[in-house]
Amino acid sequence: MTLDTTSLIEALDRGTIVTDFHATDKESVFRELSGRLQECGYIESVDAFIEAIKERETEGATGIGEHVAIPHGRSDTVKKNGIAIAILHDEIAWESLDNTGAKVVVLFAVGADDAGSKRHLQLLSMLARRLGKEAVVASLLKAKSVDDVIAALTQD
Amino acid sequence: MKIVGITACTVGIAHTYLAQQKLEDAAKAAGDEVKIETQGTIGIENELTQEDIDSADMIILAIDVRIAGEERFNGKKKIKVSTETAIKSPNKLIAKMHEIAGK
Repeated sequence: MTLDTTSLIEALDRGTIVTDFHATDKESVFRELSGRLQECGYIESVDAFIEAIKERETEGATGIGEHVAIPHGRSDTVKKNGIAIAILHDEIAWESLDNTGAKVVVLFAVGADDAGSKRHLQLLSMLARRLGKEAVVASLLKAKSVDDVIAALTQD
Repeated sequence: MKIVGITACTVGIAHTYLAQQKLEDAAKAAGDEVKIETQGTIGIENELTQEDIDSADMIILAIDVRIAGEERFNGKKKIKVSTETAIKSPNKLIAKMHEIAGK
C-alpha cells in the first residue's frame, strides 16, 4: 500500500458511505448524503448545504460520464471538509457529459473559506483524480458494501 | 511528443483534478510525455517550469476560469477547451493535438 493510499483512507468516513441506496431522484440522494454528513459532524445545516449543491448544479453537468456524478457544495455551513458516497440500487436521471444517468454519486463538501485544512483538500483532490481512472469507476459500479467502496477508491 | 498544460474549474475541487487524470492517461496511452499543472482551491500544484513549457510541442488549457500565468504560453501552439471536454473526450483531444502539431 502506498503512502497516498494510506492517506486516502483518512479522507473516507464509513459513516458517510452508503451502498444499495434506493433513490428516486437527485434530491433524495442529496438528502441522504447531506444527512449523513451532518450526523458525522461535517456540516451544520442540511438545507443550507443542499442549497449550495443545487447552486453548483445550475452551473453545469456534474455527471462526469460512465454513470458517475460528483455534485459538490461549497458553503460556510461546512465545518469540516468531507466526502459522502452513495452507490445506488438503480441508476437515476442525472445531467451528464455522456448522457448516462448516475449510479455512483460522490458528493464533496467544502468550506467557504480557504483557511481550512489544505492537507484535507489535497486528499479530496486525490480522490477526484481516482474517479478519472477507468478501473476505479468499474469497481465502484460493482460495489456492494462500504468495504467494497473503500477498496475501489484505494486500489493501487 | 510532449504535451503540457493546465486544468482549472470553477469550484476548484473536483473537475480540475479529474481532467488532469484523464489528460495524463490519454496522453500516456498515445505514447506522449505529459505534465499537467492544476490551479484549484488548494492553489497551484505540479507547476510547470519554463523548461517544461519551452520543450513542449503542444499546450492544452482545459479551463473554465481565468488562470494565473497564461502569458507563459505566448507563441506556443495551444488549444483551449473546458474541463468538461477534457473529461469527456480526452483521447480525441490528444489526437487533435497530434494533428495540430503535425507529429
